[in-house]
Amino acid sequence: MLKVIVEKEIREILGSVKFVITFGACAVLILLSFYIGAANHKANVEQYNAAKAENTRQMEGLTSWMSLEQHRIFLPPQPLAALVTGSSNDVGRTIDVHRRSELAAVDSKFNEDPIYAVFRFLDLTFIFQIVLSLFAIMLGYDAICGEKERGTLRLSFANPVPRATYILGKLLGSFITLVTALLIAILLSCLILPLLGVSLTGDEWIRLAAIIGTGLLYFGVFLTLSVFVSSRTHRTSSAFLALLVIWVVSVLIVPRSATLLAGRAVDVPSIDELAAQKTSFSRQLWTEYRDAMGSFSAPKDIDPHDMMTHFNKFMDSLSTEREAKMKVFSDRLNEDRFNRQVVQQKFAFNVARVSPAASMNLAAANLAGTSIGLKNRFHETAMEYRKVFGDFIREKTGMNLGGGMIYVEINDDGEKPDPIDPSELPVYTYSPKPLMASFSAAFVDIGILALFNLIFFVGAFVSFIRYDVR
Amino acid sequence: MSENILTIEKPRLEAINLTKRYRDGVLALDNISFSVQPGEIFVMLGGNGAGKTTTINLFLNFIEPTEGEARIDGIITHKDPLAAKERVSFVSENVMLYGDFTAVQNLDYFSRIGGQSEYTKDDYRDALLRVNLAEEAHHKKLRGFSKGMRQKCGIAIAILKGAPAILLDEPTSGLDPKAGHDFIHLLKSLQKEGKSILMSTHDIFRAKAIADTIAIMNNGRIIMLKKSSELAGCNLEELYMQYMTGHDGQRLAG
Ligand SMILES: Nc1ncnc2c1ncn2[C@@H]1O[C@H](COP(=O)(O)OP(=O)(O)OP(=O)(O)O)[C@@H](O)[C@H]1O
Ligand SMILES: [Mg+2]
Repeated sequence: MLKVIVEKEIREILGSVKFVITFGACAVLILLSFYIGAANHKANVEQYNAAKAENTRQMEGLTSWMSLEQHRIFLPPQPLAALVTGSSNDVGRTIDVHRRSELAAVDSKFNEDPIYAVFRFLDLTFIFQIVLSLFAIMLGYDAICGEKERGTLRLSFANPVPRATYILGKLLGSFITLVTALLIAILLSCLILPLLGVSLTGDEWIRLAAIIGTGLLYFGVFLTLSVFVSSRTHRTSSAFLALLVIWVVSVLIVPRSATLLAGRAVDVPSIDELAAQKTSFSRQLWTEYRDAMGSFSAPKDIDPHDMMTHFNKFMDSLSTEREAKMKVFSDRLNEDRFNRQVVQQKFAFNVARVSPAASMNLAAANLAGTSIGLKNRFHETAMEYRKVFGDFIREKTGMNLGGGMIYVEINDDGEKPDPIDPSELPVYTYSPKPLMASFSAAFVDIGILALFNLIFFVGAFVSFIRYDVR
Repeated sequence: MSENILTIEKPRLEAINLTKRYRDGVLALDNISFSVQPGEIFVMLGGNGAGKTTTINLFLNFIEPTEGEARIDGIITHKDPLAAKERVSFVSENVMLYGDFTAVQNLDYFSRIGGQSEYTKDDYRDALLRVNLAEEAHHKKLRGFSKGMRQKCGIAIAILKGAPAILLDEPTSGLDPKAGHDFIHLLKSLQKEGKSILMSTHDIFRAKAIADTIAIMNNGRIIMLKKSSELAGCNLEELYMQYMTGHDGQRLAG
C-alpha cells in the first residue's frame, strides 16, 4: 500500500507542469551560482597572485633587511569561499605585518569593489536559502488540502487505506522525488568547478558535500513545514498564504532583526572608541618616557660608533618597556571588546536560529570556513607570522625594528651592497580550520535543521490523522 | 429481484438509528434506519441539506455517527473502517481526480489503492468503454476533461474496485442526457451482477426508472420509504411535492 502511494506521488510530481517549471528555474539558478562562484574564485586567484608578485617586486630594490619595516601578507582565496561567501567578502584580505604596532586586515572585497556589496547575495547559500525554500513551498503547499479540493482525498479514503500509511507515503514520495531531482541538478552543477579549472582538495569536496547535505536538510524543513501547513488548512489559497507569511518572516525578517536585537541587547564599544582610548594612553606614555629619554648619558671617551650602539641599546630598552605597557593596556581593551563581541554574536545567532535559514547559513559558513571566525583566524595566523617575521629580521639585522630607533648605515668601502633576496623571507601560509573542527562548529545548526524536520514531520503526521478528508 | 428481497438474506448496507449532529449543533441526521439488500438499488431523494451526503459519509466513516451505526455486510463502519471500506465503492459528486494523470493512470492508481493490482491495460480500456468514455480520451490528461468526462472516470473507478456495495452521491449531476441514460443502463447491469447500490439524486424520473426502493428525506429524517412496486402507476414527482409540503406543514403546525 505504501509503495502504491509513494509511486503515485512520484509520478504525479514528475508529470506536473508546476514541477517542470519550478524545478527548471531552480536548476538554472543553482547552476548559475556554481558558475558565478567558480568565475569569482578564478578572478580572486588572479588578483591574489598579482598582489603577491607586486609585493615581491617592491622588495627587489632593497639592499638591507633593515629597510624592510613591514611585510605584506595576503589571505589566499579559497574556492569554497566563492560558493559560500559567508563573511569572506567583508574580511580584509591584506595585513601589513609590522614588528610592533597592531595588525589590521584591510582591503576587503567589498571595500575594493563596491559592486560586490550589491551582488553579494548570488552565492550558493543565497540560492539555497531563497530558492530551495520556495521550491519546497511551491510543491508542498497543496499536498493535502489540494487533494481535498480536488476530491481525490475522499476517493482515496473510500478505500481501506490507513491514514498513517497515506501521509507517510506522501511525505516519502515527495521527499524522494524532489531531493533526487535537486541532487542531480546540484551534482551536475558541481561539474562546473573542474570544467572551469577550479580544483578542490579531497578535504574541500567533503566540506562541499556536507554543505549540499545541509542545503537538502534545509529543503526538508520547508517541505515538511509545507505539508504540515497543508494538513492544517482546508483550502490551497489559505495554505499558500500562510506559508508565504512564514517564509517572509523566517527567511527575510528573523535573521536580520536578530542582528538588530543583539545590537540593542549587548553593548560593544566601537573600534573608534577603542582607538581613541589607546591614543590617549600612548600619549600619556610618551610624556612619561620623554623625561626618561632626556636622562641618557654616554660613558666618557667612547668612540662615536660605540656611542651609537649605546644609544640604540638605551632607546631599545626604553621602547621595549613602553611597548610592554602599551601592549598590556591595548590587549585588555581588545580582549574586553572581543568578549563582548562574542556575547553579542552568540545572542544574535541564537535569536536568528529560530529561522532555519539562519541555521543553514551558519552551518554552511562553518563548513566552508567562511564563518565569522575567519577574521580572527586570519588575524591569529598573522600574529603568529609576525613572530616568525620578527625573528627572521632580528636574525638578519641583529636588531628589533620600529620603536623610534635610528640606524645609520656606514658604508666604509664604497662598495655597492648586495640586494636582499626576498625568497629568503619566511612564507605566510593560511590553513582553514581543520575539517573536524568545522564539522563540530556546524553541528549545532545541522542538529537544529534535523530537529525542525522532525518536528514538522510529526506535526504533519498528527494533523493528518485527524484531518477531515471530505 | 423482489423474490430476493423476501428471502432472509442478510442486508448488505444497514443504517440503524443513524444520528449525526455536527459540531456546530446542526442535526443533519435524526435517527434514520434502512437497509439495502444484495442486488437492490436504493435511492435517496430530498432537498438540499436533507442529509443525503451525510448518510453516505457515515457509511464511508468520513465522519463518526453521534448515535446509531452504519453497517456494511454486518461490519460497523466506525468500529472497523478498513474492513468496511474493502466492501464498498464510492462515486462522489464533482471529483476532479488527478489532473496530471491520464484517465488510465487515474484508474490504475485508484484500483491499486483499492486492492486490485492485477488489472491490465485492456481492463482499463474496457472499464472506460463501459462508461462510454471515447477511446481517444483514455490516454489524455484529465486536466482537459469536462465535468461529465471526469464523472465517467469516477464511475469507471468504482466499477473496477469490484466491491459488492456501491455508494453514489449525485452521480448524474454532470452527465449529459445521453450519458445519464447510459448510466441508468450501467447501474442496471451492475445490479444484475448482484451489487447493492445506495444512491442520492435530485433526478426524480431516473430515480423512479431504476430504484427498487425510494426514500424521501427531509431535515435529516426519512419521511417516505417505499418499494417501487408500491409506487407503480403513481406520479412520483407529485408524491414528492406532497410529502415535502405536507412535512413542512406538519412541522409548522407542530
Ligand atoms: N461539515 C459540516 N458541518 C456542519 N454542518 C454540516 C456539515 N456538513 C453538512 N452539514 C449540514 O448538515 C445538513 C445535511 O447536509 P448534507 O450535505 O448531508 O445534505 P444533502 O442532502 O447532501 O444536500 P444536497 O442535496 O445539497 O447535497 C445540512 O443542514 C448541512 O448544513
Ligand atoms: Mg449532498
